[in-house]
Amino acid sequence: MNPPLQTTRSARAQDLTTLLARAVVGGLYVYMGLSKALYPVDFLKLLRQYNLFESALWLNIIAASLPWFEVFCGLLLLFGVAVRGTALVSLATLVPFTIVVWKRALVLQAASQIPFCAVRFDCGCGTGEVNICFKLLENSILMLLSAWLLLTPRFRACLWPEPVTKLRLRSASRVTP
Amino acid sequence: MKNTGFHLTSAQPERRLVNVFIEAFIVGAVGFAIAMVANSLSPRGLSLTRNYFPPAPTQVASATNNAGVVASPPLLATNASRENKLAERLAARGLRLIEFAGVRQLYQDPRREQELIVFVDARNEQSYLEGHIPAAYHFDHYYPDKYLPEVFPACQQAEIVVVYCIGGDCEDSEFASAYLVDAGIPAARLNVFAGGFEAWKTNGMPVEIGPRGSGELQQRQQ
Repeated sequence: MNPPLQTTRSARAQDLTTLLARAVVGGLYVYMGLSKALYPVDFLKLLRQYNLFESALWLNIIAASLPWFEVFCGLLLLFGVAVRGTALVSLATLVPFTIVVWKRALVLQAASQIPFCAVRFDCGCGTGEVNICFKLLENSILMLLSAWLLLTPRFRACLWPEPVTKLRLRSASRVTP
Repeated sequence: MKNTGFHLTSAQPERRLVNVFIEAFIVGAVGFAIAMVANSLSPRGLSLTRNYFPPAPTQVASATNNAGVVASPPLLATNASRENKLAERLAARGLRLIEFAGVRQLYQDPRREQELIVFVDARNEQSYLEGHIPAAYHFDHYYPDKYLPEVFPACQQAEIVVVYCIGGDCEDSEFASAYLVDAGIPAARLNVFAGGFEAWKTNGMPVEIGPRGSGELQQRQQ
């Protein structure tokens, strides 16, 4: 049985932070995912600029799936389903994407001979042309919020926050009366 | 949404970690499956097997023999070097590059009225409706099923076809031309207008707004 929830001021602040983190990360994922999913060709062209895939099949698979995958993860966070797992997926995708965007910005900076923070380009993130330093800051904040959601001790206002843990606890309690 | 206040003190830390990884794996697998279904149901969905950016024959030979290889996009380049590279790629495909002066001449040629000279706009639908070369056919090569039934017969009966996109780094005119060649239009008929719609507009040429044949012309100031 779960112990009673703490209702101290710090616990309330934690709950509020968690709720805000879910709203911000989830909302951004839905917005960015939809803006790409509605114009997949534009996203495909932008993705190609990174020269990550030699194979057309892989390029198409990533361009076709990633926008909808983002929308899916965003909805899970907003509704509070599998929050920790989704936060881990979010971190696992944000880290390599941030590195890739940063590397692309370095290439553009070298080609155009301008200061790093003056580099602006459409990174294919769903928000159009952005300043690279702003983008890196935004991604860092998203990573911090995802890490918070991964490590936070509890969840409120969630439909099904930790389905795997809950199901395993339930099956364990059935086995040991 | 119910306020569960659920937390995990009753689970062992290592088990919690394993649970989180299992959860992440399920989220990834289910999310990927849903994304694939959404893409296949979306009218703008991408074909997974098609190479949208087929490399020119020399690029394929220099890179690999794999037919599924994607052509490398151009990085920042000057106009001159960009046009030289484009001309080389087009020549490798058996296509020709055409400059604004040549395009204007073809536009003013009486054969255009008989559709023996045809213009093909390779930009997306929104850009096309916002303005295109008068009487140009629309061919967004990413969605060939939608546009090919109209544009293919026109290109078949034409003597000269001019394909354009926005200009600059845009490669859609090149890939649209390559698609038309694959569909059966002789490469010798196809001319790629490198300056594209930007060059057309900046030279004060007339622009048709809306669908093809709308008659809504806009003469811009040079």
